Amino acid sequence: MANGTQGDAEIFENLKLELRRGCLTLAVLTQLRTERYGYTLRKALADDGLEIDEGTLYPLLRRLESQGLLVSQWREEDKRNKRFYKLSSQGEQTLKLLMDEWQRINASLSKILQEA
Amino acid sequence: MSKVKNPMELIDRYLQAVRFWLPKTRRQEELLAELGEDLRSQIEEKEIALGRPANEEDVSTILKRCGAPMMVASSLAPKRHLIGPTLYPIYTFVLKMVLLWILVPVFLFIVGPVNLANAGGNVGTAIAQTMGNLWSGVFIAAGVITLVFAVLERTQAVVGDSCKWDPSSLPPLEKQERKTSLVQAVCELGFGWFGLIWLLLLPQYPVLILGPAAAFLRAAPMWHTFYLPIVLLAAAGVVRSAVILVKPQWTWFPPASHLLQTALSLLLLRFILTAAGQVASGNWHPFVVVAEGVSDSVKFIHIAAIVNASILLSLACTWFGLCIAAGIQTWEFMRFVRNRVTGVNQIVNLHVQ
Repeated sequence: MANGTQGDAEIFENLKLELRRGCLTLAVLTQLRTERYGYTLRKALADDGLEIDEGTLYPLLRRLESQGLLVSQWREEDKRNKRFYKLSSQGEQTLKLLMDEWQRINASLSKILQEA
Repeated sequence: MSKVKNPMELIDRYLQAVRFWLPKTRRQEELLAELGEDLRSQIEEKEIALGRPANEEDVSTILKRCGAPMMVASSLAPKRHLIGPTLYPIYTFVLKMVLLWILVPVFLFIVGPVNLANAGGNVGTAIAQTMGNLWSGVFIAAGVITLVFAVLERTQAVVGDSCKWDPSSLPPLEKQERKTSLVQAVCELGFGWFGLIWLLLLPQYPVLILGPAAAFLRAAPMWHTFYLPIVLLAAAGVVRSAVILVKPQWTWFPPASHLLQTALSLLLLRFILTAAGQVASGNWHPFVVVAEGVSDSVKFIHIAAIVNASILLSLACTWFGLCIAAGIQTWEFMRFVRNRVTGVNQIVNLHVQ
């Protein structure tokens, strides 16, 4: 029984991770309409209730940048070198499409969940 | 844990520990710099909240929350598989085939008896020596197979990206009764080729079957008669696997050809066993004989006798196994024919109605 509970918890955690993965990308792109560096981005997401750890955020930022959705720049601020990220023009277009898609999925899901 | 004068030094020590687990690339250095900056920002914020400089405990709490260096490195590093999920099932299949169905029988029926003869009949020594040889053999075979699949995994990404395909080239819809999967068909063809090449090399390189015993043993004259039928049967097996791969829509072919191949193998084996039984009992060396010009022939005749007995035993076991297989395959073939007839009748009935 204990194993079953542990297994259920693990299944839930995996499903939660899968559910969060796409949402995080959308949230990161949305937050980067304003230029931010890693820590302030993490903080902004956490303040809105979407915590993300360092090991997840930085590889994600790097991936989005390599896909051309973000542009970055190392700059000195408060006597420290920080890497600032901002949405690229391609990123803005993609974000618009993603937001539309999100609205569509959200509407469908709300309908499905209400029916359940 | 050693006390540090400057708590911020812990950050550098932490980053150094993370760096150890990461590949040395510019990308990773930049990721580390960002991680360092993130940690310093967290400490800075903590100091503002506390109204005092952070001490060692404060920094440790932040680093503990961030995670152990190895864990953080694993999430920062690019994700790579030695053998990815696509190739993994084929890898385990090949590994099982080679280790269980090739290596273990070779050691059981060839290397073991040779070691037993070399150890002068001392069973304990022979078992220990064979187990030692088997252990190294398993490690080398598993290592080579893993290496080959790791190379395939690397090259597959390149081939997979550039591979163009046309939906119209897809094979026709499979019928339900088809059992042979693509992976199985490819593996059968691969192993068939491997077996055929191995057979063709045997006359020049008897060491491939006799191992170290090839230095003093050679094939008996009976193989002059049976070698060609064996090669032809192996070649027919390769052709059969190729046909299954190329013509998957021929659902009748795998069970029918399998049954035919088993029947031919049984027939051939029967002739070999009969021929072995007809060899003079006083000098009963039907499969291998001591090579000419070998000194200490008494010892080697003893070894040859053990190897001959082992081969006879393995052939008898194979014959027994093939008899069972023939029974199962006959039943499967009959079931296939029955399903076919029933299916045709159902279609006819539907048309009539």
